[in-house]
Amino acid sequence: MSEPVRFVSQKVDLDYKVVTSPVARRFDEQMRAGRITGHKCPECGLVYVPPKGFCPIDCVITDESNEVEVRDAGTLTSFTVITPIQYQGQEEKEEYVLANILLDGASGTIGQQRVEGIPHSEVRMGMRVKAVWGGDPNEGSRGWGLTGAIKHWEPSGEPDEPKEKYQEHVL
Amino acid sequence: MSSERVAVVGCGQTHHRKVRDDLSMAGLLREAAERALADAQMDWKDVDAVVIGKAPDPFEGIMMPEIYLADALGCAGKPIMRVHTAGSVGGSTAVVATHLVSSGVRERVLTIGFEKQSEGDTTWGLGGGRSGSVGAGGYFAPHMRAYIDRSGAPDYIGPAVAVKDRRNALKNPYAHLKLENLTIETVMESPYVWEPVRRLESCPTSDGAAAMVLTNEKGATEGAAWVHGTAIRSELGQFPGRDPVNPRGGRDCAADVYSQAGITDPFNEVDVAEIYVPFSWYEPMWLENLGFAAEGDGWKLVEKGVTDITGELPINVSGGVLSSNPIGASGMLRFLEVALQVRGLAGEHQIDGARTGVGHAYGGASQFFAMWVVRNEKP
Amino acid sequence: MRDVAVVSFAPSEPGLTGVEETETQLLFPVINEALAKIGITRKDIGFTCSASCDYLAGAPFAFVQTLEATGAWPPISESHVEMDGAWALYEAWVRLQHGDVDVALAFSSGICSRADIREVLSIQLDPYYLAPLWLDPLSFGRLQAEAVGQEPPTQAPAYTDAAAAVVLAAGDRARELVDRPAWIAGIDHRTDAHYPGVRDLSKSESARIAGQQAGVDKAPVDVAYLSAQYPHEGLILMDALGLTHGYGLATNPLMVSGLIQVGTAADAVIKGDANRSVGHASAGPCLQQNLVAVFEA
Ligand SMILES: [Zn+2]
Repeated sequence: MSEPVRFVSQKVDLDYKVVTSPVARRFDEQMRAGRITGHKCPECGLVYVPPKGFCPIDCVITDESNEVEVRDAGTLTSFTVITPIQYQGQEEKEEYVLANILLDGASGTIGQQRVEGIPHSEVRMGMRVKAVWGGDPNEGSRGWGLTGAIKHWEPSGEPDEPKEKYQEHVL
Repeated sequence: MSSERVAVVGCGQTHHRKVRDDLSMAGLLREAAERALADAQMDWKDVDAVVIGKAPDPFEGIMMPEIYLADALGCAGKPIMRVHTAGSVGGSTAVVATHLVSSGVRERVLTIGFEKQSEGDTTWGLGGGRSGSVGAGGYFAPHMRAYIDRSGAPDYIGPAVAVKDRRNALKNPYAHLKLENLTIETVMESPYVWEPVRRLESCPTSDGAAAMVLTNEKGATEGAAWVHGTAIRSELGQFPGRDPVNPRGGRDCAADVYSQAGITDPFNEVDVAEIYVPFSWYEPMWLENLGFAAEGDGWKLVEKGVTDITGELPINVSGGVLSSNPIGASGMLRFLEVALQVRGLAGEHQIDGARTGVGHAYGGASQFFAMWVVRNEKP
Repeated sequence: MRDVAVVSFAPSEPGLTGVEETETQLLFPVINEALAKIGITRKDIGFTCSASCDYLAGAPFAFVQTLEATGAWPPISESHVEMDGAWALYEAWVRLQHGDVDVALAFSSGICSRADIREVLSIQLDPYYLAPLWLDPLSFGRLQAEAVGQEPPTQAPAYTDAAAAVVLAAGDRARELVDRPAWIAGIDHRTDAHYPGVRDLSKSESARIAGQQAGVDKAPVDVAYLSAQYPHEGLILMDALGLTHGYGLATNPLMVSGLIQVGTAADAVIKGDANRSVGHASAGPCLQQNLVAVFEA
């Protein structure tokens, strides 16, 4: 006797074109050149990295005239060590660290950034990190976007920041 | 301008399990709905309108499932709506249904929240089909770490919540996880999934549905629960300085719903609360956010056993999201469970004499909130 | 019921396709315009209802992104339907009945140009019996045309990209904001059964009930905007609603087309082009689900 059929797998395959908005394209060009940029809201002065093309608080449109460069270094404000869940299409197999990082010059963090070059048990809030860029911008081998151009972040060796510097920047 | 009073006259839920392969998706909703209708002493034909809610469509691979579900829910010739507000959806769906009655637009509304996680892959869906999806736990883990860091809570608080909710689930015949003899030590020995969150501190993936029948005063039956307030809030997901640990949206939502219900001292005036705790640390975090404890003190209520089923403020006596997580139903179950409590129908996990209950759900980047207050007496 | 009116309507430019902006960026100008027309700001909105679709965006939580166009800080009272924006308008109308809120915003957005919509819509069907057949919307259109003895269409209107916003206001607040509020004399929505085989495809019972509940036949209608993709859908809907004329869809920006038809009907009253108008939205195969709104000066 064979087992009764309880599930029939039906895979739905839909293709989507990922379209980069003009704001994202400009950000990407700058990333390829090794510059991390954001938009500074003309109303509230907050610096959004990556830029959204607007300030969602004041609802004003921002553009290249609002562009500012921030440093490729910052403070780790919080993090988690991920044990990747295995699902169809998941390429991650090993544990890894994802952190929220407040870049020097930005008003808010960039989320879910990889941190390497340090044992997972030693990663801590307030730790200073710097970008490790990937590829070669001249050869065109640098990846796309924030997580494509920057391979990961690693400790910069600077002293940790005190709580009050990172506590209000969990996100 | 006065609104119609709204009564919860029927409550029904499925037996939540990891896999309900004995039922189709429509069958899952019908199991909950038929229990709610039976409780309300109604039939499908008595329903004026149906409001359903679930989490993102990519979780099961069905776009706008109300289109297909219309037949099974007896909707031909009737209105059906579909709400989607991320994890809070079960709560906000109940709020939309309440408004249909309180506005006077409909008299008898059936509302259902559901998820059939076994027919899809949630982590895949959350990642939009791409590699590197970390799931909800991976997203929320840094926020929980920040809470621990800020409050100085001892490391066993999260595990203590996990043990409490699973013990409560043993009293609830519908709950998914039935973990006997769980201790703080066994939870602490379970592996990290999204450090600082351990496997046993996380919600399961469940198939399940929750349903309620709401009526105006004319249609209310003896022993109904009465809605004394509903509130929803949404806030931007990410902007500089946003605090996901104690989000303002949650505080505002609670203040709004308490004011409608005339509650000035939630800790002392609320008899039982079901709050959305998919990962253990969210109990102390939301205790503070919802005004049950001062900022930084939520974990102390857990430590003292105040939120136990025998405590002064019992929280998630049904076992909560930590014991059953059919995502789109999870928020509605919070609303439904407190309605059962004030009706005195919660069975083994009934809190004696519960008169005022608070249901709560949250979603997105801790940015969508839905709440209601129900009582055994009319407003 | 409380008197509630549409007081402002702003759609994106018609016929957009291949837009490079995000849905949020599409929404910014239409929300700004809808508010500017009546001289209010986002802070004046007491309730917001949005509509979008994850299967158009190709990723979950499309509405989390579009929330950024609402200025949701401090937090706002907001809800979302995974339905055409016309249902967001309906929810906003329900919310305004309570009397504690006087002004509401409803909006929707959808970008169709990033996927094959005929394929995408096939997963809107019963997952067990219909979706595996990959029935596409044009096939359903042809099936229904046969049922009414009409020439089966060979093409559906182009799926386009769009965003639209509508502002609703109650009572005196509506009168303050605009000279001719488009009062919602009636609004209702209904569904038919999903299976094409269990209903009479030559009729739309759900549109008939919605139209009757909305009171379409209580007085003559000056103009009607229907979410009809094909000539035969127009015939079925006019029959169901008792109309002799109605404008159908030239293009079909999913999630927005219904809100645009309803908003255009309201705008005809606001502008003084009509004293009584009808707007209609639809969803699902063969006009399964229908919403009808009647506006009066
Ligand atoms: Zn700003």
